[in-house]
Amino acid sequence: MLEFCLHVLIMSAIFGIAAVSLNLQAGTGGLLNFGQIALFGIGAYAVAILTRAGLPWPAALPAGMAAAALGGFAIGRLGRDLAAEYWALATLAVAELVRLVALNEDWLTGGPQGIGGIVGLFPGLDGVARALATLALAALLLLGTALMARRLGQTQFGRVLRLMRENPDLATALGHDIVACKVKVLAIGGAMAGLAGGLYTLYLAFIGPDQLLPFETFLIWTMVVLGGLGNVAGAVVGAMLVTTLYAGIPFLKDAVALPSDLTGSLRVFAIGSIVLAVLMLKPQGLVPERLRRLHAQRP
Amino acid sequence: MLSAHDVTRSFGGLTAVNHVSLEIGPREIVGLVGPNGSGKTTLLNLLSGFLAPTSGEIRFDGTTVSARRAWQPSRLGLRRSFQLPKLPARMSVLEVMLAGGRLPAGASPWRSLLTPGAVRREEAAFIGKAMGLLAEVDLAGLADHPAGGLSGGQQKLLGLAAVLMDDPAVLLLDEPTAGVNPSLRRRMADHLRRIREGGTALVIVEHDMGFIGDLCDRCLALDKGAVIANCRPDELSGNQQVVEAYLGRRRPGVPLRIVAGGTVGGTVDIRTNGARA
Ligand SMILES: Nc1ncnc2c1ncn2[C@@H]1O[C@H](COP(=O)(O)OP(=O)(O)OP(=O)(O)O)[C@@H](O)[C@H]1O
Ligand SMILES: [Mg+2]
Repeated sequence: MLEFCLHVLIMSAIFGIAAVSLNLQAGTGGLLNFGQIALFGIGAYAVAILTRAGLPWPAALPAGMAAAALGGFAIGRLGRDLAAEYWALATLAVAELVRLVALNEDWLTGGPQGIGGIVGLFPGLDGVARALATLALAALLLLGTALMARRLGQTQFGRVLRLMRENPDLATALGHDIVACKVKVLAIGGAMAGLAGGLYTLYLAFIGPDQLLPFETFLIWTMVVLGGLGNVAGAVVGAMLVTTLYAGIPFLKDAVALPSDLTGSLRVFAIGSIVLAVLMLKPQGLVPERLRRLHAQRP
Repeated sequence: MLSAHDVTRSFGGLTAVNHVSLEIGPREIVGLVGPNGSGKTTLLNLLSGFLAPTSGEIRFDGTTVSARRAWQPSRLGLRRSFQLPKLPARMSVLEVMLAGGRLPAGASPWRSLLTPGAVRREEAAFIGKAMGLLAEVDLAGLADHPAGGLSGGQQKLLGLAAVLMDDPAVLLLDEPTAGVNPSLRRRMADHLRRIREGGTALVIVEHDMGFIGDLCDRCLALDKGAVIANCRPDELSGNQQVVEAYLGRRRPGVPLRIVAGGTVGGTVDIRTNGARA
């Protein structure tokens, strides 16, 4: 039971990072990135490949972040002239492309089997001690990511992102290059998602193409929307909630003896119902975006 | 400063701006008038780089204005406001003002994270400037309110104030007084005159002839996308083509009256120098 709780918390922290990343892109910047899992996946695979090649994880993780940042940059450049909706579709396509590369380039990615047997985090420890150390690391990185995202949302950078989200013409008229802003926020979001992906790989000592299905992007979106688009704390709350639910349902199955082929659909059903319920009762999410009151803050 | 050289813009079969050439000198205040749909906003979009001309060229300060980099003119000192500002609902009035300023430290993600001191100093300076400008348009008390929640007229004022955060060299204003009450209009005119004294040239699209007559050195009248007059504001009413464009062909014996734009505009006789009737 303790191990299960630790597992859920670790996964919450890892997906919390991915959700904070998506919240920066979609909540603050209004970018409908439906390919978030690709950025996560690039980080995950880069870390897997590099650690397999013998790099220690403290070096592999930043490299994975850099690779995913580059991926974000590319997605931003790719559709710079597309209208928002078409760009959203393009991100979905890019994510599938990344998954197909992972599935088919066996020499690099291990193909359908993925990459396993990775030397994970803290190989010197085992059992609960290892889980606790992993949780501490993941929580620390989540805290760092969340504080960074919050800070970026508060300064002129975030202000321009929000203006871009609500009225891109006005942002342009005030001298802001919105394509450059978009590319920057995707690169930053990419680095964050890559961090989440890298941690995921290191924690599970495995990454495979099935972890990059579009459904995963949907899960991360669920976390952000549930928590409240545009609010960093909301993204973290949403990630905890969805992860707990997602991990808890198979556990529940054991308790009430449900057939195991049902758990998959039950998960989707439960998460879908909760999203619907929250959005009907609290359309802004559990922790809605707050207006910044700069004037009142002044001494 | 700012010039258009034989600029044409068509939308499908419709020519919204038709072979327009113009030249705006430093510190000039030029009115742009014409009936609805005559191409005023389109011309402003062309001048500000928001639209690419079908043919012809726009030049500002020695460089060609390109619609591929619509953000650039604003950085170089050529700024515009919008006929309908559509301000963000989830940003405060003060935040919209700050977005109009140039805050290089805060705009850079790196410096946002690494040099909090510089970001704070920069922000404090611009908050001061913003509050001063907001006071001029009676919005200081609403600094922390959602910008999108303001009334239509207040949104126009905020749209104008945000543009002024960066001391532009040329300012293109699309109907700045539409929906603004008369006393505030007069103050706005005074404010715009002060801005001109500070070295800014202004192009003002307006339906309020009183405001135009009050403020402008010169007027361009557009009709169906073409410039039909380039004269002093008080000469407009003597121009047969302008009068006909606004009122249709004149029937003998019908007095020439033109209703000023906006919600509170009085009736203005363009024959009497645009004085309020
Ligand atoms: N993006 C566009 N696509 C198609 N037609 C357009 C577009 N923009 C403007 N037009 C057309 O160009 C003509 C000029 O429009 P414009 O908005 O410039 O008029 P205006 O002089 O600003 O009018 P108003 O006083 O009502 O604001 C109109 O017939 C309009 O329908
Ligand atoms: Mg117009």
